[in-house]
Amino acid sequence: MDFVCNFPFFSILISLFSGTICSVLPEKAAKAVNRIVIAAVGVMSGILLLYLLGTGESFVYWMGHFPAPWGNEIRAGILEAGMALFFCIIMYLSMAGGAHKLFDEVEESKHNLYYILINLLLSSLLALVYTNDMFTAYVFVEINTISACGLIMIRQVGRTIEAAVRYMIMSLLGSGLFLFGLCIMYDLTGHLLMSNIKESVALLIQSGEYQIPLIVSVALMCIGLCIKSALFPFHAWLPDAYGYSTVSSAAILSSLVSKGYIFLLIKIIYRVIGFEIFNNTRIIDVLFVFGLLGMIFGSLSAIKENDIRRMIAYSSVAQIGYIYMGFGMGTQAGMVASVFHILSHAATKSLLFIAAIGLTEVSGGSRKFIDLTGAGYRNKWAGVAFTAGSLSMVGVPLFSGFISKLLFAQAAVQVEGKMLAALIVLGISTVLNAIYFMKTVIRIYATTGDTSYPCITFKDMKVHAIVLLFFIVLNIILGVSSQPIVNMIEQGLAMFA
Amino acid sequence: MYLILLPILFPILAGLCLLVYRKEPERKLLTAFTGICLVITGALVVSALTLARQSLTLFYLTRTLPICFRIDEISVLFSLLTVIVFICAGLFAFVYMKHEQKEKRYYGFYLMVFGVLNALCFAGNLITFYLFFELLTLSSLPLVLHTGTKEAIMAGLKYLFYSLCGAYASLFGIYFLYHNCDTLTFTAGGVLQVSPASPEGRFLLLIAFVMILGFGVKAGMFPMHAWLPTAHPAAPAPASAALSAVIVKAGVLALIRVIYYIFGADFLRGSWVQTAWLTLALVTVFMGSMLAYREPVLKKRLAYSTVSQLSYILFGLAVMHPDAFTGGLLHVLAHGFIKGSLFLIAGAIIYTTGKTKVHELRGIGKEMPLTMWCYTIVSLGLIGIPPTGGFVSKWYLAIGGLAGDIGIFRYIGPIVLLISALLTAGYLLPLTIQGFFPGADYDYNTLQKREPARLMTIPILFMTILSVIVGLFPNIITDYLTEFVSTLL
Repeated sequence: MDFVCNFPFFSILISLFSGTICSVLPEKAAKAVNRIVIAAVGVMSGILLLYLLGTGESFVYWMGHFPAPWGNEIRAGILEAGMALFFCIIMYLSMAGGAHKLFDEVEESKHNLYYILINLLLSSLLALVYTNDMFTAYVFVEINTISACGLIMIRQVGRTIEAAVRYMIMSLLGSGLFLFGLCIMYDLTGHLLMSNIKESVALLIQSGEYQIPLIVSVALMCIGLCIKSALFPFHAWLPDAYGYSTVSSAAILSSLVSKGYIFLLIKIIYRVIGFEIFNNTRIIDVLFVFGLLGMIFGSLSAIKENDIRRMIAYSSVAQIGYIYMGFGMGTQAGMVASVFHILSHAATKSLLFIAAIGLTEVSGGSRKFIDLTGAGYRNKWAGVAFTAGSLSMVGVPLFSGFISKLLFAQAAVQVEGKMLAALIVLGISTVLNAIYFMKTVIRIYATTGDTSYPCITFKDMKVHAIVLLFFIVLNIILGVSSQPIVNMIEQGLAMFA
Repeated sequence: MYLILLPILFPILAGLCLLVYRKEPERKLLTAFTGICLVITGALVVSALTLARQSLTLFYLTRTLPICFRIDEISVLFSLLTVIVFICAGLFAFVYMKHEQKEKRYYGFYLMVFGVLNALCFAGNLITFYLFFELLTLSSLPLVLHTGTKEAIMAGLKYLFYSLCGAYASLFGIYFLYHNCDTLTFTAGGVLQVSPASPEGRFLLLIAFVMILGFGVKAGMFPMHAWLPTAHPAAPAPASAALSAVIVKAGVLALIRVIYYIFGADFLRGSWVQTAWLTLALVTVFMGSMLAYREPVLKKRLAYSTVSQLSYILFGLAVMHPDAFTGGLLHVLAHGFIKGSLFLIAGAIIYTTGKTKVHELRGIGKEMPLTMWCYTIVSLGLIGIPPTGGFVSKWYLAIGGLAGDIGIFRYIGPIVLLISALLTAGYLLPLTIQGFFPGADYDYNTLQKREPARLMTIPILFMTILSVIVGLFPNIITDYLTEFVSTLL
C-alpha cells in the first residue's frame, strides 16, 4: 500500500487534533494553525485525487489493521478525494473572506474557540466523506452538529442564540431519526460496515424477507439527513441560522455542512442500500416531490424577504431542492447533476455570502434593501462579485449555475414520468431566482443611493477582494470547463458501486 | 480564423475598460474613445465577413456542446444592419447624452451590446446563440435603466422578466432538441430527422411552438409584447433606436435560426404551429398599429409601431414561402433603418424642445425643417409608399402571403397588412401635417430656428437615405438573398 493511502486518515486526524491545540495557543498562532491545517488537508486531498486518477481504483484503509467485519474502515475514491479537496478550498476561502468581520462580530476571548470549532467541523466533514462505517458516520454527524451550533452561537446576539437552539433541536431530531434507522438496519443485517450491509441487504431483497423494516430503516435515515440538510419542509431553522451568524459561518454552513450530509446520503444510497434497490422504493418519489416544492417555496420566501442575508439563506432552500430533485429522478444522470450542483452551489453560495457582507459594510451595517441602494458603487469588488454570483444562480451560460441546470434538464428528459414536472418547476424556479437576485443587483447599482456612506477601494479590502476574485474564477471554471469535472463525478460514482 | 472573434471581443473589452475605469473622463476624450471603438468594430465586422462559411469551434461547454461561430448570409445581413445602426446611434448619442448623466456607463454598455450582437449574428449553433441571447438581455438592461428614475427601473425589471421568461421557454425547447437531434449546429433546412406525424414529432411540434413564443418575446410578439412599449420610451433616445432597430431583431434572428436552421421549414409547414404562429403574428400587426394610433406620447407611439412592424417580419417567416421570407428579411433592413431614424428624430425633438407628446409639436416642421423632412420620408417608407424601402418589403410580403400554402390566411394576411398600413399612416402622418401646417391660428412670432446639431442630423439623414436606397435598388439585396433562400425552403 502506497504512503498516499494514509492521507485520508492523516487529514481527519490532524484537523481533529489541531482543534485541541488551538485552544492553548495565542490567537494569532491559532489562526495560523487553522489556515495551515485547512491548506494542508487541501493539498493532501489534491495529491490523493491525482493518485486515484492514476490508479483508477478506490481503496479501503483498515484502521488499526483490523480486518472487516470487526475493524473500522476508511474508503477513498475519486469522488471522496475530490469532494474533500473542494470542501477545503471553499472553507479556506470562506475563512479568509470573513476574517476581517470576525473581529467585529465575535468577542476577543472567543476567537480561539472559533478556530477550534472550524477545525472540528473540518474533521467531521472529512470523516463523513471518507468513512466506510455507518456508526462512525453517526458519531461524526453529531460532532458536526455540535460544532455547527457553536459556529452559529459564537456571535452572541439574541437572534443567534434563538437560531442556534432551533438548529440544535431540528438537527438532533435529524440525527435521532438517523440513529433509529441505523439501529433497525443493524438489527436486520448485523453489520455496521457499509460494504457488509450492502451484501446483506441484497440477500434480504432477494429472499423477500423483512421488506417493511428495511424500507422504514432507509426512510428514517433519509428523513434524518433531509432535516439536517434543510430540505423543504424541514427548512425552518435555516434562515436565522444562516442569516445572523458571522459571515464565515454562514458561508461554511450553507456550502459545506449541509453538503456533508447530502454526501453521506449519496454514500448510503450507493454503498449501503444499493442504487438499484433504492430507486425501486417509493422514497425517491417523495424526495422528488419535496425537492420540487423546495425549489418553488424557497424562492417564494426569498422574494418576500427584505434582508439580503436571509434572502440568500432562503435561496439555499431552493438550491437544496434542486439537489434532491436530482436524487428523485432515480437515474445516474440525475445523480451526476446533483453532485455537480453540490459543487456549483457551494461555490456560488459562499461567494454570495462573502460578497453580501462587503455590501452591507458600506451601508452602515444594515442589511435592508433600502439601505443597500447604490452599494455596488461604494464597494465595487463586492458589487461585481455579487452580480457574478447572482448570474450563476439565475443560470446564465458561462457560469456554473447554467451547467447544473443543463445537467438537471438532460437528466429529466430521460425520465418519462418526471420529465415535464421537473422541467416546468426548473423553469419556474429559474424565473423566481431571477426575480429576487436581479432585483437585488439592480438595487445595488441604482444611482439614487444614500451618498453619506463611505466608499471602500481595493486598498481597504485586499484579502476580501482577492477571495472574491477566486470565488468568481472558481464559478467560471465550473461553468466553462465542466466536462472534466463531470467525467470525474461519473468515475467517482462508478467506484461507489 | 480567429479574426471572427475580434468584432465580438474588441467592443466587449473596450466597454469593460470604460466601465472599470475609475474616474469620469473628460467628455471629449470619452466620446472620441467611444467613436473610435465603434468605427474599429465596424471595420472588424466587415473584415470578418470575408470569412463566410468557415466555422470556428472555440471550446466545448460539455462533451457535445461546442461554442462555435460561423458566418452565413443571415449573419451578413444582420451584422451589417447592426454596424450601421450602432455607428449612427452612437454618433447621435455624442450630442444627445450631454443632458444625461453617467455617460461613461452608457457608452460602456453600449459597446458591450454591440459586441454581443455581433456574436449573435455569428453564432454557429443553438447553444452559442442562447448564451449570447442571455448576455444581450443582461447587457442591454442598463441602457433601459440608464436614467435611474423609478419609471425606468420598473421598465427595466419588466424588460428583464419578460426576456428571461422568454429565454427560459426557449431553453426548455433546447433541452428537448438536444435530446432529439444529433447536433444543434445551424444547418440550412434543419437538423431534425423526425417526422411530424410520429408521436415524438407531435411533441416536438409543441416544443417548436413554445420556442416560437419564447423567442417571440424579444421580437415583441403578442401575447408577450408588453415589455416593448414600456422599455423603449424609458431608455435614452439613441438607446431606443438601437433597441428598436437592432436588439429586438435578435428575436427575429432567433426565430429564423430555430425554425429554418434547426427544425426546418418542412417540419412545420401545414402544422397547427404554423397556423398559430400566423394568427399571433397577424394579431400583433393589427393590435400594435391600433395601440400606436391611440398613443399620444411620440416615443411610445413609435414603440407600439415597432411591435406591429416586427410582426410583419414574423408573418413573413411564418408563411414559409420564399417570397415572403425575402420580404421579411428586406423588412428587417427597411424597418431597422426607418425605426432607427424615427427614434433618433424623436430624440432630437426631445433634446431641442423638451416636448414628448405629439399634439404639443405643432409647427415643429417650421422649426426643424431638415429633421421633419427626414421624418416625413421615413414615415412614408414605413407606410409602404414607393419608392421607399417599406414598399418593396411589403410587396414581397404580400406576394408571398398570397402565394403561400396557408389556407385562409392567404387572404387574411395581405388584408391585415393593408389595414395596418393605413393605420400606420394614421399614426405617423399627423405629426408631419401639424408640423408643417400648424394652421391659421398658429403664432408665427414664437417660431425659432432650432435645427439640432450636425452630429445629430447627419446620422438621421444617413439612415433616411439608406432606407430610400433599399427601396430604390432592392435588387442588389434580393439577388443576394434569392439564392440561399432557395436552400432554406
